[in-house]
Amino acid sequence: MDNPSKFIGKNIPRSGTLEKLRGEAVFSADIELDSPLVLKALRSGRAHADVVAIDSARALGVEGVVAVFTAKDIPGKNLFGLINKDQPLLVSDKVRSIADAVALVAADSEAAANSALSAIEVTYRDLPAVFDPEEAMGPNAPRVHEKGNILSVSKVRKGDAERAFERCRSVIEKTYRTSMVEHNYLEPDAGAGFVDDDGALAVYASTQNPHYDHKELVSLLALDDDQVRVIQAVTGGGFGSKLDLNVQGFIGLALYHLKRPVRYVYSREESYLATAKRHPLLIRMKTGCDDKGRLLAMKATIICDTGAYASYGVAVANRAAVHATGPYEVENVDVQSYCVYTNRPFCGAMRGFGTPQIAFAHESQIDLHAKELSADPLEIRLLNALRPGSKTSTGQTLTSSVGITECLQALKPYYAQAVESWKKSAVNGFLKRGAGIGAMWYGIGNTGVQNPSTARVEMDLDGTVTLYTGCADIGQGSTTTLSQIVAEVLGIEPHTIRTVVGDTKYTANAGATSASRQTYISGNAVKEASEKLAEVLLTEAVNRLKSPKSSLVFASGHVFVSTNPEKRISFADLAKRIRAKGFSLSWQGFFDPVTVPLDRETGQGVPYATYAFGAQMAMVTVDVLTGEVSVEKIVAAHDVGKAIHPENVVGQLCGGVAMGVGFALMEEFEPGKTVSMKDFYIPTCADMPEVVPIIIESPEPTGPFGAKGVGEPALIPTAPAILNALADALGERIWVLPANLERVMEASIRSGNFGAVNSE
Amino acid sequence: MVNFAYRRPKSLAEALDFLSSCGNKTKVLAGGTDLTVDLRQGSAQPEYVLDTSRLDELKGIELSNGQLCIGAGVTLTEIYESALLERYTPALQKCAATFASKQIRNVATIGGNVAHCSPCADTLPPLLIHEAKAILASNKGLRETPIEDVASGPYESSLRPDEIILRFILKPSKDINFADFQKIGRRKALATARITMAFMARQDADRKISFLRFALGACTPTPQRIALVEDYLACRVPTVQTLWEAGGLLAESVLEITGRRPSASYKEPAVRGLSVRMLYPLVHVGA
Repeated sequence: MDNPSKFIGKNIPRSGTLEKLRGEAVFSADIELDSPLVLKALRSGRAHADVVAIDSARALGVEGVVAVFTAKDIPGKNLFGLINKDQPLLVSDKVRSIADAVALVAADSEAAANSALSAIEVTYRDLPAVFDPEEAMGPNAPRVHEKGNILSVSKVRKGDAERAFERCRSVIEKTYRTSMVEHNYLEPDAGAGFVDDDGALAVYASTQNPHYDHKELVSLLALDDDQVRVIQAVTGGGFGSKLDLNVQGFIGLALYHLKRPVRYVYSREESYLATAKRHPLLIRMKTGCDDKGRLLAMKATIICDTGAYASYGVAVANRAAVHATGPYEVENVDVQSYCVYTNRPFCGAMRGFGTPQIAFAHESQIDLHAKELSADPLEIRLLNALRPGSKTSTGQTLTSSVGITECLQALKPYYAQAVESWKKSAVNGFLKRGAGIGAMWYGIGNTGVQNPSTARVEMDLDGTVTLYTGCADIGQGSTTTLSQIVAEVLGIEPHTIRTVVGDTKYTANAGATSASRQTYISGNAVKEASEKLAEVLLTEAVNRLKSPKSSLVFASGHVFVSTNPEKRISFADLAKRIRAKGFSLSWQGFFDPVTVPLDRETGQGVPYATYAFGAQMAMVTVDVLTGEVSVEKIVAAHDVGKAIHPENVVGQLCGGVAMGVGFALMEEFEPGKTVSMKDFYIPTCADMPEVVPIIIESPEPTGPFGAKGVGEPALIPTAPAILNALADALGERIWVLPANLERVMEASIRSGNFGAVNSE
Repeated sequence: MVNFAYRRPKSLAEALDFLSSCGNKTKVLAGGTDLTVDLRQGSAQPEYVLDTSRLDELKGIELSNGQLCIGAGVTLTEIYESALLERYTPALQKCAATFASKQIRNVATIGGNVAHCSPCADTLPPLLIHEAKAILASNKGLRETPIEDVASGPYESSLRPDEIILRFILKPSKDINFADFQKIGRRKALATARITMAFMARQDADRKISFLRFALGACTPTPQRIALVEDYLACRVPTVQTLWEAGGLLAESVLEITGRRPSASYKEPAVRGLSVRMLYPLVHVGA
């Protein structure tokens, strides 16, 4: 930047915060409609069964019931899905998981809807089911889908891993497993619909991608684009699960037939049952390094259980493969990643898209090498860290904004203090302390596919600027960040910018709020739109101020001559003149990161235009007598390119750590058993460590003002750091997540720490 | 959520009258922190919910005639804040400090915790070491029952449908110099207990244990005092080794009661470990 930023890097008040604090924010469940009908889906409760018959006659007789819909009532294509269209809204032939919806009831009360659900008679013919992904890959396993249970295989191959292992001084091969996890956003899924003044079916929803929802509704209902309108209501978190079509399809279907207001608000229990989970991964990883600790080879097999439907499964398996090396340069790589159907509830996107799972493996491996070679865990990472000029496993040469070294360096003083004094300071004999490092990289945006964003910036005749964006702000603060970008380009206060967000009637597709992509991708689209408007304003100002463009600057809704601030003209004046001349005051921006699709056989290509990096250190105390773990402190250093709103970045880091603590120590969803928050434990504030957030800014030349993303990266190193700290404390490692009481106790016994108490 | 009729009697007498006629179709609500969960998931489907939360007769903490009396409607927060209980039932006070979450402590009652008959009820081990008795009231009068007999099994009450718990009578601690309550959960707050334990002890100047009460919760169908541990440690000068041995006996008695269930691979070592940790101050006098 030539000039110091006025609004970039500033903690301006966040859009929507005041409304939320005052309780004025309108979430989907709060939307007031004229006597809306209540919708409820009948869930199968069976893992795998043919649907022989559905009889709704009795349900229709229940007082207050208006309609019961089944698959045959769907006018369009009864299949949806983010990547693979394999999920029916209402099943017609067979159910593939206990959560599958068989029928949809519309009634004038919750009680009537519930009575109707129990009055629908479904005849099933149970089929053998498969719950284990390895078993599902076998030739004789029950087929979840016609085309077979192996949905995809992603391969990343570079060099010759087999031969490279022969040159390695240290070779380690281990198996890791991670758990199925529920997102547990604060606001359960909800939506409301009505026929709007234009006659379009308007659907308000708690969603991360209104434009995707729109496309699916148009397809399900066989309508034209302008006959469906999706509006993102205020959304209380998503973490990936609100990318799927959850309530939206049901609302659309009922609206299509009934043409009257309807609403569907999931209970916490239904949200747990029916929405996506984090994919449990089975990872077999073999790595080798030379006597100095330089990684020479990696081989990995990854099996990703996507449950009954694909959702984002292929992308998760693919991203896990691409990220398997971690933020390290490895010359010889051979990774295969399978995405497999089972009859468990479907898994989809969840913060990190497979990267938190794979990071558990690569970060355990590198610590194991360090131990075997008596190397320092930080130094071995620094030795292998990607840097400008490095080639990734997909053959991409990184050129700039590779901040992993800075992140690791930032941990150094904290790690030294932890190892040299904190660990040694006296605690009682039953408590062991450990410190561990976790590092990560994360490609911003979708993997090797186009994922553009569009945005529009308009000026009214009074000079007011409006930003139109399809980018769903789900609490992460994108509306604020995008406003700051407009503000910076046009030199106006961010709060004076009107924003129209996530309404398919007015906004264009910005792509999903996922893959940590909105700041980078939508940020660039917004910046381009703002710059086009700026250019028109400057062009007209040249005429009025009789000064060359290069001498003009924006400030406070005016264009000034930088050397003579007396010479100025207001936006309102300019807007009127521009309009009078017939030029547009409405400009669109577009950005798609430059990628090269990955080769099917070798995975070679450029999956992402830029990567975020991060490293965290965990300090943990373990009670060797009981298996209780206390995470005392996490130092989180993250390269975000440029922090457009530093407090938002800190918020993401702290939230990511919280989620990482849960992933590391307690979160495990058991289908059929886990019902609600009463039996799914996420960390409370008492479980939260002290967090020391450190923002590293290694600017990304193609990013808006140098920015990349941080939403997912924040979570990724936490669990690996905690698990490495646990291994440091106990001298024995845990291979399966979560490291719950049972697993830590088992490691304490295995390491001899438990029994050693007796010989004190 | 099931449909039920809500009743809030103005007096104990009115409550008991109601229970004498409708007790078998009624769930008694005290703080409601367990009952509302059961109602929501449908495991409780009463015709009536009888709200006893405002009955003065169930309130109050007092010491009289050498006996501590705690009303069934006393909240966990009130227990935590009571100077009397801090002095005479320190393990119970510590239990109240770590019970669920602050919001729950403000409404949950000790009577509700006992009457729900959960094997994991936090207040049971502290009540057991004080040899508590429950005073039950019905239209027919009062009767007294040992605290361990309130639950006949997990979530199974021995109370008659026309009865409610009026108060608890506890033996106040006397000349003890150690007391504690310990709990293991899957997280640091708001977690169902995996293991709870309480003890109080007197250790004489010669370091011999001259008095010990020890109780265990969440590991057996109903929480109980563990005589094997109490007897083993009585009259001994404790060392880490003796605590380790006592912990082994504790683990054995749990296995004997429950059989080897899947949870035993954790609970067997963990009850031993937790008991060693809890009793460790007995070894480190003055430390």
